[in-house]
Amino acid sequence: MGLLDKLNAVAATRQALLPPGVDPFNVVFDELYTSTEASLGGRRVILAGTNNYLGLTFDPQCIEAARATLIREGTGTTGSRMANGTFAGHRDLEKEMAEFYGCSNAIVFSTGFVTNLGVISTLAGPGDVIVLDADSHASIYDACKMSGAEMIRFRHNNLEDLEKKLQRLGSRAEQTLIIVEGIYSMLGDCAPLAEIAALKKKYGGWLLVDEAHSMGVLGAKGRGMAEAAGVEADIDFIVGTFSKSLGSIGGYCVSNHKELDLVRYISRSYVFTASPSPATIASVREALKVINARPELRARLWENATQLYEGLGQLGYELGPDLSPIVAVRMPSREKTLLAWKELLDRGVYVNLVFPPAAPAGMSLLRCSVSAAHTPDQIERIIGIFAEIMPLITAGE
Amino acid sequence: MTNAQYADILQKVASLLQAHAPRPVPIHEDTELINDLGFDSLRVMEMMNDVEDAFDITYPLNALSDLKTVRDFVLQIQDIIRNS
Repeated sequence: MGLLDKLNAVAATRQALLPPGVDPFNVVFDELYTSTEASLGGRRVILAGTNNYLGLTFDPQCIEAARATLIREGTGTTGSRMANGTFAGHRDLEKEMAEFYGCSNAIVFSTGFVTNLGVISTLAGPGDVIVLDADSHASIYDACKMSGAEMIRFRHNNLEDLEKKLQRLGSRAEQTLIIVEGIYSMLGDCAPLAEIAALKKKYGGWLLVDEAHSMGVLGAKGRGMAEAAGVEADIDFIVGTFSKSLGSIGGYCVSNHKELDLVRYISRSYVFTASPSPATIASVREALKVINARPELRARLWENATQLYEGLGQLGYELGPDLSPIVAVRMPSREKTLLAWKELLDRGVYVNLVFPPAAPAGMSLLRCSVSAAHTPDQIERIIGIFAEIMPLITAGE
Repeated sequence: MTNAQYADILQKVASLLQAHAPRPVPIHEDTELINDLGFDSLRVMEMMNDVEDAFDITYPLNALSDLKTVRDFVLQIQDIIRNS
């Protein structure tokens, strides 16, 4: 097989799967109007698939902070912090992230994906064990592979299976890193974190929680699932991203283990990657202030999530098991998913189309994500368009 | 591990593979999980859950990279049982 033949095989699969002129995986927005509306193919669409949970991408305070820093410090850092040095903004953001979580240590990375690569592959190594939830994000799977540790998967959110696997490890459980997420990205379901933390305490080991989809969303202060479940003291490492609730790009890890600071000397995805640009860091720092100062955004987000989840449920759609800002609509087949996705877009709503293996358990999904910036009218419009397309989905079923 | 135990594992594995395989072809020791039975990553994971339950073992994901034929699979399971 030639080097490029495997890519041609992808092209053939893509052609078989997607009708001509439809590519849900390569959507181009011509113009962004607000954090909830854009132009796509000359049509104005409501954005209901962007993980922009608090709607901060167009927050005037964040934009102004980024603009002022852009003018003052330039467009980029042109290299890694190890080689090119740390800007004051990087240092200050790490201090502020640690304060936000009430932790002693924080490290900032360039994206959420490389945060997981850097932290997990550095914490665990050959001879260690990682026990991870089956529905973990691709970055977690890749990080585990990179670590060289033994990888053990437990069934999604299944405490019995997790306990069985920890039990079988015997004394090795103490050298085990358990990895779960706060809210899972595809179905929007929540980890039973209090019970998972109890199992970690019972069998030993270390617990890392990815709060990518729960930071800014859950908890009285918006710190995520660990805060909401009241188990922050039992979590060893929290990782997350700046690209969802904080409306920017980048990632972080916080911990009360002072050894976290040493990760920055070892982690290849920290040492060998360009650090976040000054403007990016400035917008994140400002967004963190907004999260602290405006808890009403979180309340608004949950009102919108409830409106959409209940509205689609009342229409008869099969949804993810938990109410959350991720509202996953289960479709009967790939063909129907594509048809529904295209119809939604033609009628003015953009959602995510998800096929397996990105979606768990062989499901095909229309994945909606709600924002605090959506208006009740926009949510009602989304529900209305889902109602319009229902006959197309149920036809022949 | 005796031949009899190997045969028992093989029989159980074959039955589990039959239940999950997209292509219902006859299964023997040289049958390949991907090329012959048409397993993809998702089906492998679903099948692994049943294998773990059937043998009361934990199958590490790292072992998947060495898994090609039914024989490989049976030998891996034998090994995990022996070391558990």
